[in-house]
Amino acid sequence: MADLKVLSGLGVGLNSVIGDVFRVLPHATLPPRAKSTNAGAETEALREAIASVAGELATLGHRADGASAEIFEALTYLLEDEELFELAESNISSGWNAASAYAMAVDEFGELLGGDPTFAERVADLQDLSKRVQSKIAGIELLLNLPTSGSLILVGEDFSPADTAQFTEAIKGVITSKGGPTSHTSIICRSRNIPAVVSCAQADELEDGDSVLVDPVGDRVVIGGTLSDATAAIEFVAMSAEPIIAVRSNIGTLADAELAAATKAEGVGLFRTELLYLSERKAPSVEQQTEHYSKVLAAAPTGPIVVRTIDAGSDKPVPFLSMGEEENPALGVRGYRLIVEHRSFIESQLVSLEGARQATGREVWVMAPMISTVQEAADFCELAKSIGKFKVGIMVETPSISAMIGDLKGIVDFVSVGTNDLSQYLFAADRMNPALGALLTPWQPALIRTLARIAADGKAAGISVGVCGESASDPTFAIVLAGLGVTSVSASPSQVNVVAKALSSLNLVEAKAIADLALSATSAEESKASVLAALAG
Amino acid sequence: MAYQSSVEVLDPIGLHARPAGQIVKLVKELGLEVKIGPVGGAMVSAGSPLRMMAMKAKTGEQLALEIEGVDDARGAEIAAEIQELLKG
Repeated sequence: MADLKVLSGLGVGLNSVIGDVFRVLPHATLPPRAKSTNAGAETEALREAIASVAGELATLGHRADGASAEIFEALTYLLEDEELFELAESNISSGWNAASAYAMAVDEFGELLGGDPTFAERVADLQDLSKRVQSKIAGIELLLNLPTSGSLILVGEDFSPADTAQFTEAIKGVITSKGGPTSHTSIICRSRNIPAVVSCAQADELEDGDSVLVDPVGDRVVIGGTLSDATAAIEFVAMSAEPIIAVRSNIGTLADAELAAATKAEGVGLFRTELLYLSERKAPSVEQQTEHYSKVLAAAPTGPIVVRTIDAGSDKPVPFLSMGEEENPALGVRGYRLIVEHRSFIESQLVSLEGARQATGREVWVMAPMISTVQEAADFCELAKSIGKFKVGIMVETPSISAMIGDLKGIVDFVSVGTNDLSQYLFAADRMNPALGALLTPWQPALIRTLARIAADGKAAGISVGVCGESASDPTFAIVLAGLGVTSVSASPSQVNVVAKALSSLNLVEAKAIADLALSATSAEESKASVLAALAG
Repeated sequence: MAYQSSVEVLDPIGLHARPAGQIVKLVKELGLEVKIGPVGGAMVSAGSPLRMMAMKAKTGEQLALEIEGVDDARGAEIAAEIQELLKG
């Protein structure tokens, strides 16, 4: 393949795919402001464009889950604001065309709202809506208009929840020039088994209709490549019946629990509870929560079930828990920090989980997210133990608590490392910032060395250490984790069996030798390459 | 004669996008003309989230409320619902 052009990036998934490039342009150029003499026609055009954008938002809202649906509804109220329309109408009367009139009206409201950090994001939303309305009037498609048949490789800068909600059957692969392994695009592609290469800086060179190979295992895209050029995922051959460390499953819903039960998962390593609450306007009663938890616990795969108490924040708001808008939500009042304002809700969660534990007879472990001090860990564990017969623990996501693991001896029974957030905080790299993806690959040696220290300190303190981030869904990285001394991993249901197989293909001594290779590297590329080479050889 | 009353912004970050959206939703569902504004100041339509946000009403601020076409009993009910949305 000497004459094939290769673009490198970060792979998501284990399977390769070929297809035709379908580019999504980030920003179509809108026509400049202009006058018009036909006010009646302009008003009508504006009315139609607003209705059409509202219709698209409604469609997206239907396809989205509870939380996102509410976001789309709120956007619709801004879009259809009656006073905004009146102002645009008066601009049309002054001789402007529909698109210019709406843009000017939005700018005016933007100024009224300006200067107040509370409204900064809303002004951005409003400008985005303005762009959609103007594009609609100009006949430019901003929303994805994706074919439903064919084999397409979607190429763009990065994809938002609004974009991925529109993915059709025809989308067989995804390439983004930005975004990292924990970006929204990556998480969606992993969960839907869509091969992807993200953070592929040269993706801009791809043109519509180019036939490309998306080769996630090789962290690359090959223009004109065929499946025979694909980097084979390392074929792990199970040498033992059981994996060297426990492989559990991540779940969020009853459907996930049922999916996980059909895998080799030994229990649940992360039950995300916030999905139950994101679309509720009022706090569900203890009875309602208990009923819901009982169903999920009963359906979950055999083994312990690790439940994380609510992990919400101002960027992931729960309607009935008031959360002020914050300048930096990732660094704000989130996870366990909500207990200051919402203690009774967190208590009701634990009471409900204890009810569900008794009703189902399952082994329930509870843990709190976003713990940053030993005192917070102690407070949570004391609270949880006073309410139910749980094993108690915490998430390790902040660098501050990762330095204190030894001091959790006698306080927690276990810790679970959320590598997505730990990476974000360790590297001071916003997970949502598409330009910083390369810093957030789990192969970064600074993350691996931090994990090694957590595992070693946990072992010395008699605390079991699990990993439940996206990184544990990568079978190769799961071997590194086992070698570092992590005692369990938790993967998405779709990845449990491949991770379990990888962890059955070698013994702990061999895994440790693999982990040592990753530990000695000084770059993400080097750590990944040395591990892959050793496993392939 | 419009029903008149007042409500207090209790939400810790003032009258921001979420309560504004919820008030608009309520007002649209009711199909009534509702105005809101600083006591003694200019009233704006409670059907316009942008106008309400542009008041930049802060926590603890009293807002006057006018509801067209309802009797006192119904007006008080609606005012109570709006007050509830301003609790954050």
